Amino acid sequence: MSQQSQQPPVFPSRPGRGIGHGARGPVVKPKNFKGTLRRLWQAFDQEKRMLPLVFLIVLVDALLMLSAPYLIGKSVDAMTGGEATLGLLGVTVLALLISYILDGALTLLQGWLMAGISQRIVKNLRKSLFEKLQKLPVAFFDSRPHGELMSRLTNDIDNVSNSISQSTAQLMSGAIMIVGSLVMMLILSPILTIACMITVPLVYLLTRTIAKKTSVLFKNQQIQLGKLNGHIEETVSGIEVVKAFNHEHKATQEFDEINTELCRIGMRAQILSGFLMPIMNVINNLGFAVVAVVGGVLAVKGMITVGVIASFLSYSRQFVRPLNDLGNIFNVLQSGVAGAERVFEVLDEQEEPEDVPDAKTLSQPKGHVVFENVSFGYKPDQLILKNVSFESEAGSTTALVGPTGAGKTTVVNLLTRFYDVTSGTIYLDGKDIREYTRDSLRRSFGFVLQDTYLFSGTIKENIKYGKPDASDAEVEAAAAMANASVFINRLPKRYDTQLTENGGNLSQGQRQLLAIARVILAKPSLLILDEATSSIDTRTELHIQDALLTIMEGRTSFVIAHRLNTIRDADTIMVVDRGEIVEKGSHESLIEQQGVYHQLFFNQFKNLQASAE
Amino acid sequence: MRLYTKYIKKYGVVFCVSLFFLTLEAVCDLLQPTIMSRIVDVGVAQRDLNYVLSTGGLMLGVTAIGAVAATMRNLLSTYVSQNFGAQLRSDLFKKVQSLSFENIDRFDRASLVTRLTNDVNQVQVFVNGMMRIFVKAPLTCIGGLIMATQLNPRLAVVLAVVVPIVGLFIYLNMKIGFPFFMKVQQSLDRVNGVMREYLSGVRVVKAFNRFDFEVDKFSHANEELQTKSISATRVMSIFSPAIMLTVNLGIVAVLWMGGLAAEQGDMQVGHIIAFTNYMTQILFSLMMISMVFNMFVRAKASAGRIGEVFAEENRMTWKEQGSLQGDGKGRIDFEHVSFSYEGGHGESVLKDITFSCLPGETVGIIGSTGSGKSSLVGLIPRFYDATKGTVRVDGVDVREVDPKLLREKMAIVPQKTVLFTGTVKENIRWGKDEATDEEMELAARMAQAHDFIERTPDGYQARVGQGGINFSGGQKQRLSIARALVRKPEILILDDSTSAVDVATETKIKEALREYAQGLTCLLIAQRITSVMDADKIVVLDQGELVGIGTHESLLKDCRVYQEIFQSQIGKEVQ
Repeated sequence: MSQQSQQPPVFPSRPGRGIGHGARGPVVKPKNFKGTLRRLWQAFDQEKRMLPLVFLIVLVDALLMLSAPYLIGKSVDAMTGGEATLGLLGVTVLALLISYILDGALTLLQGWLMAGISQRIVKNLRKSLFEKLQKLPVAFFDSRPHGELMSRLTNDIDNVSNSISQSTAQLMSGAIMIVGSLVMMLILSPILTIACMITVPLVYLLTRTIAKKTSVLFKNQQIQLGKLNGHIEETVSGIEVVKAFNHEHKATQEFDEINTELCRIGMRAQILSGFLMPIMNVINNLGFAVVAVVGGVLAVKGMITVGVIASFLSYSRQFVRPLNDLGNIFNVLQSGVAGAERVFEVLDEQEEPEDVPDAKTLSQPKGHVVFENVSFGYKPDQLILKNVSFESEAGSTTALVGPTGAGKTTVVNLLTRFYDVTSGTIYLDGKDIREYTRDSLRRSFGFVLQDTYLFSGTIKENIKYGKPDASDAEVEAAAAMANASVFINRLPKRYDTQLTENGGNLSQGQRQLLAIARVILAKPSLLILDEATSSIDTRTELHIQDALLTIMEGRTSFVIAHRLNTIRDADTIMVVDRGEIVEKGSHESLIEQQGVYHQLFFNQFKNLQASAE
Repeated sequence: MRLYTKYIKKYGVVFCVSLFFLTLEAVCDLLQPTIMSRIVDVGVAQRDLNYVLSTGGLMLGVTAIGAVAATMRNLLSTYVSQNFGAQLRSDLFKKVQSLSFENIDRFDRASLVTRLTNDVNQVQVFVNGMMRIFVKAPLTCIGGLIMATQLNPRLAVVLAVVVPIVGLFIYLNMKIGFPFFMKVQQSLDRVNGVMREYLSGVRVVKAFNRFDFEVDKFSHANEELQTKSISATRVMSIFSPAIMLTVNLGIVAVLWMGGLAAEQGDMQVGHIIAFTNYMTQILFSLMMISMVFNMFVRAKASAGRIGEVFAEENRMTWKEQGSLQGDGKGRIDFEHVSFSYEGGHGESVLKDITFSCLPGETVGIIGSTGSGKSSLVGLIPRFYDATKGTVRVDGVDVREVDPKLLREKMAIVPQKTVLFTGTVKENIRWGKDEATDEEMELAARMAQAHDFIERTPDGYQARVGQGGINFSGGQKQRLSIARALVRKPEILILDDSTSAVDVATETKIKEALREYAQGLTCLLIAQRITSVMDADKIVVLDQGELVGIGTHESLLKDCRVYQEIFQSQIGKEVQ
């Protein structure tokens, strides 16, 4: 929930509805309120059938609640009315009793129904959001912080749910209450109604002006709070550096500056918004007093009965409360719609293009790869790869070397269609890769990346990820081939060991071995090793190197590495720099060329070799 | 709670004054229905217009007093809660900054951040609430009960029945509701977990085409969340109408009993109206109290978590007059140093290490992950203190020196690059506030960062971090090196800080260091032998033990571990 509840707690429009739903932060306004609302309405889908029933319940309930003050007034009159009124009192009290019981039942029913409706809608929204994520290209995930996407799935959808379950019914019943109370008040006594109405414009003006000012202040406060949290996050997680550079004092100083400013803004926002409650209270009491006095005067003059005063007091309260609440309900609604808008934004993202109509399924390709004048850029004028052409024979190993950001990873991203080429063509076994189904194309590749990704689950499940129907024997064989069985067998639960999120309970090297076992089991025809061993110390790397050599055998492989010893046996080594292939050839021929590769290799190895001799 | 005495002393008086106003406010609220009943029973019944008007005036007067009290209370409570919160947060921040790593390690970093942000907020909200509604609710509740009973003891029988029932409902609501919401939270965590995994593993999912599996997994979690949420909301939706109904039935009972009594002339109508009004007030306050409990539980947990941090005592001690006036600038000695984390109770990370770095020497440290390299250099700036043995800087035992003095003369480039939000310039200058632009540029040039900084559109004004340019890992490392160099330290510690920098650039950095920073003692942790092979001395660590020390050539001859590392890096070439 919101971190700071500076706003006064929202009182339910009637006691009993929603205990303590606390205050919320500043309201984020949706960009296109109407359009989003319309789409949200579409998202109701099946639930639309239930809505008339809910609204009927709300309507009946509101009418019942409207009758209560009238009945109370009648029973008061029955008490003061003199003889033969005991029967009348009995009737009104009984009517009141029935209407209260009905109200209870209807409220319960409504809450019951709305819980189902809102949760089902929200579940479907979450589902379609997640399914959408399956169809989005990798570029989408690369360009967005995960935290932001997470917040769309959680906070935003939460807001939608709140606004559906709370606002819809409240808005309805609030509107009925206001109109109904007004009508009843007019019927009971037009003069008293006018007296009572004096407070309405006051309430309206006051809430408006204060709310306008406070919303700005609260927004500022939220910004300041964000700044402070950012500062805390940075200085606490980077405390080694803070301490190493003796910056404790400076960090504290900066902290105090932001903190003081936060306190100042917070105080202003609080005080201003804090005024609202007591002032509303005064106005309500003023209304109460005015009704009492005017009613008293009228009653003294015999123009109305005491019962009317009693009913009137209740009506005036029923009239004002939803009026006060409307602003709040509107806020909830607004943040709900804003949340829905952010969810829809994701749903509207461009998906990976469909496969071409007569796309072929690729199975067991030989692995002959040709890049023909391939260029790629996120924007046409900023090419990351420029006119790249090369050929890799089936079963050969191609290594890509070059500085970070040169475009090595882009080459393999294009090959697997994580991204599509901007111009040029990539052929696999003589056919444009776009003529294959994306599914079957990717299935032909095995990946071992620098950051291995393991899922929470058992070791066995993780190895089987690429081939869910594999038998235990196959899993164990794959693990053995990947040199992973040694450490797995040492674990108390062996293959059934539960991994925490991203395999946090294994070392980097062990995770990499599991990733390799996963690839071995999936038996891909082509292989991509992207800095597969760069975050592992060199002695552990030896084990992994063996495993990698095993799987590279007979498969067309693309290897990206900045430790050059890992790639010297490659059939072709390509040096990539600033999006272009600057050199190409075998290790020996490149060394002879005395070019960039020679330079790189020289830097890394010459001294080592010299000392070895 | 002893920790909070300080704040009670500081804000106690204002706090109490604000409670006084709060009480005044509550009393004013409570008087309303009684005054109202007089208007009806005396004024209207006796057709006394003057009485109606004067009592009405009294009612407005009471309202006005209530409003003034509320306003004062608002001012005071805001003042107290905001200042208290700010100060508590500031104190906690200072405390965290002052703790040694041994203390900090007891907490998860993320949890420290939460304590500073969320927990402080919780406590602040509670203090604020206490001065707003939490105290008012019981006051109104008890006051309402007293007023109602006084008004009409006979009708109070209804209260005696209704209030306990409502209390029971509120209790059940919390008792039954809480576990339900815990379950909802758990399923929500699961949904988020699946989502988070998917987001980080999206390439793997795509590569293996496991969309159906992922969607299934998600649907399962999603379905469960839906079921749990619906049942939780439904259970909760029973209580509100139940409470309402109980109170309403009470009102009906009051009307009926009151009506019968009024019939016999035993009771006045105004009393009955006032009584129903009190009932509503009591109901409201009961519901507020249930909220107070919720808030209290949360605030108490938060206060406890904050207290834990305050309770940490800095274990690092030093002599006030201790200074680094020893012989030799930048000399470092390790004398039989052993170390383990968790205050010496953990597994030993370093075992009996002895070696020296002479002023101006470059010492390489190599060994596989987990061999204790980072722990070893962490002892020099006193991030931790050795469990056994002595670490000397300039010949002085570091335990006798204020860590501040010690850290002033050294610069560290940590393994994990940490840059702060701000411009490139601000980040480099972080190393030395008073550095001139020239000094800064020189540092950037030495770290081979100048060229790529210049290539960004904003140059040194380019923003790092959120909303700024995303520098690559290697570029960030170079910025972090520049930040260390601008300090012109006597001792430079590079903790595997060129791992993402390509070999050619790394060589240039080392050449620059050799040229500009003569007399600088440099400790260099590395994975690659090429990074350390030209060092004056190489220390080889293996599982916390020093297994070799010497030059590259001598180690190749007689250090088995070093040979192994060498072999692994040169590949088959040597065979």
